[in-house]
Amino acid sequence: MTSRIIAVAVLLFLPLPIVIVVLSSFTSAGYLSFPIKGVSLRWYAEFLGSADWLRVMGTSALLALIGATVSTAASLGAAWAVVRHRIRFGTVYETILLTPLIFPHAAIGVIMIVTLSSLGWLGTFTGLVLVHCILTIPYAYRPVAAALRKADPALEEAAASLGSRPWRTFWQVSLPAVRPGLVTSLLFSFIISFDEVTVTMFLVGPFVMTLPVQVFSEVLESASPVIAAVSATLVLFTSAMVFVLDRVIGIQFFVERD
Amino acid sequence: MPKFSRSVLLLAPSALLLGVFLIGLIGLITSSLSIDGQLDLGHYTAILNRPDYVEMLGRTLRIAALTTFFSVLLGFPTAYYVARYRGNRNFLLLLIIFPWLVSIVVRSYGWVVILGPRGLINGFANWVGLADRPMKLMYNDFGVILGLVHVLLPFMIIAILSVMLQIPRSMEEASMSLGGRPAHSFRTVVLPLALPGILTGITLVYLMATGAIVTPLLLGGLGDTMLGTEIFQEVMHFFDYPKAAALATVLLITALGVVLPIQIFERWLVRRLSDGAGQ
Repeated sequence: MTSRIIAVAVLLFLPLPIVIVVLSSFTSAGYLSFPIKGVSLRWYAEFLGSADWLRVMGTSALLALIGATVSTAASLGAAWAVVRHRIRFGTVYETILLTPLIFPHAAIGVIMIVTLSSLGWLGTFTGLVLVHCILTIPYAYRPVAAALRKADPALEEAAASLGSRPWRTFWQVSLPAVRPGLVTSLLFSFIISFDEVTVTMFLVGPFVMTLPVQVFSEVLESASPVIAAVSATLVLFTSAMVFVLDRVIGIQFFVERD
Repeated sequence: MPKFSRSVLLLAPSALLLGVFLIGLIGLITSSLSIDGQLDLGHYTAILNRPDYVEMLGRTLRIAALTTFFSVLLGFPTAYYVARYRGNRNFLLLLIIFPWLVSIVVRSYGWVVILGPRGLINGFANWVGLADRPMKLMYNDFGVILGLVHVLLPFMIIAILSVMLQIPRSMEEASMSLGGRPAHSFRTVVLPLALPGILTGITLVYLMATGAIVTPLLLGGLGDTMLGTEIFQEVMHFFDYPKAAALATVLLITALGVVLPIQIFERWLVRRLSDGAGQ
């Protein structure tokens, strides 16, 4: 009984601050307050009328798009070698791929400062792409490898025995078979990258900034409700991604073991 | 092309990314261990000789431990409830997964809006005339722990749930039909089988709590720092990279020192459980 009360309370508690942020973004007052003074879209108008905010949103979207694509492609390569070529120490390699997950984010931030400054990429878009690939590859790998394990290699052998060339077999037989895994990897990495802040805030500079990092520094400095409008937009982006993920593979993907 | 060189080509992109990470890790440790190119533990002794840093380390461990404790306390019943729910389980999953994927900045900011001096709770209390002065709900450990538990709880629930969904309900029912009382069946059947999930959850939550920056800064303020926020300030305000590197290495040691033993214990447990199932 107590456990049921805790569970229901937790399930209401988890979405609570997000709902509050979205609701408060519609205030007409110059600051967030209770009770809400009036309803208006003025903070959305300010957000969408600001060239700075829009540029930062564009940077974040492009970064997440490139990062997710590179991570997914790199994961497909690794999964192919491990699952299909059955390379020696394949499971060890899989474990190593997941190691960035067991490093605290603040430490990864400093590690990446060291790396990017030695490459001369600190505060550049290229640097952020590299770091976001490293951060998303553990998330991108699992869905691709799982899809590849489910796909039947006999189909490829059949195509080959019917005279299909390797590349054609890859494009027309292998790739369609793992498509749900690839789409999941892309979406999952996109979300992780688009929302990432703890590591990224060490690496941005005067010439490159991401949306969550900009929100973070604004929250530290001001109490303008425009932050709520930007945050609500971030929530909208995430909802769209979760919706597509649910359609493509089903939300239970996140709690499945392979 | 022979299969071996094809494998190498396929592995190259992911290996390159991992290589960059590893080189950075080595760079971090060497830069924390050297002063003017000489091997020197000076950065570490400087940290341990400052009472405020030692206190900050203690606070980090305390907050991470409390966050982990509350995450288990709240996460386990939730995972159990969701796993045994007979209705639309996908909706409940959505209530967990969706907040988990929303940026931690947005979620922490949500708590600022709720707990802040001019936030919802204080606004409400003032409105109904309960309090004439704003209550201090954030810029203290309470706010930080509340925010961290909220941000990290989904990791715990997901880790436990993915194990719990593997336990057939019939196992519990079998134990009860053999005369085990619900509490007893729960303790002897569900809990041991769910333990690997709980351990994974503890690992993740503890790791993220020790290395958190955003939530402690937004809800704790600049005063009472944690390891993560201290590192952030050394880099952003003082540009003291060697000290930041030494603090980051201390963070790595405190995190891995707790996490690796748990991981080893979990592997051993999983092996023992699957051996038991085979007999």
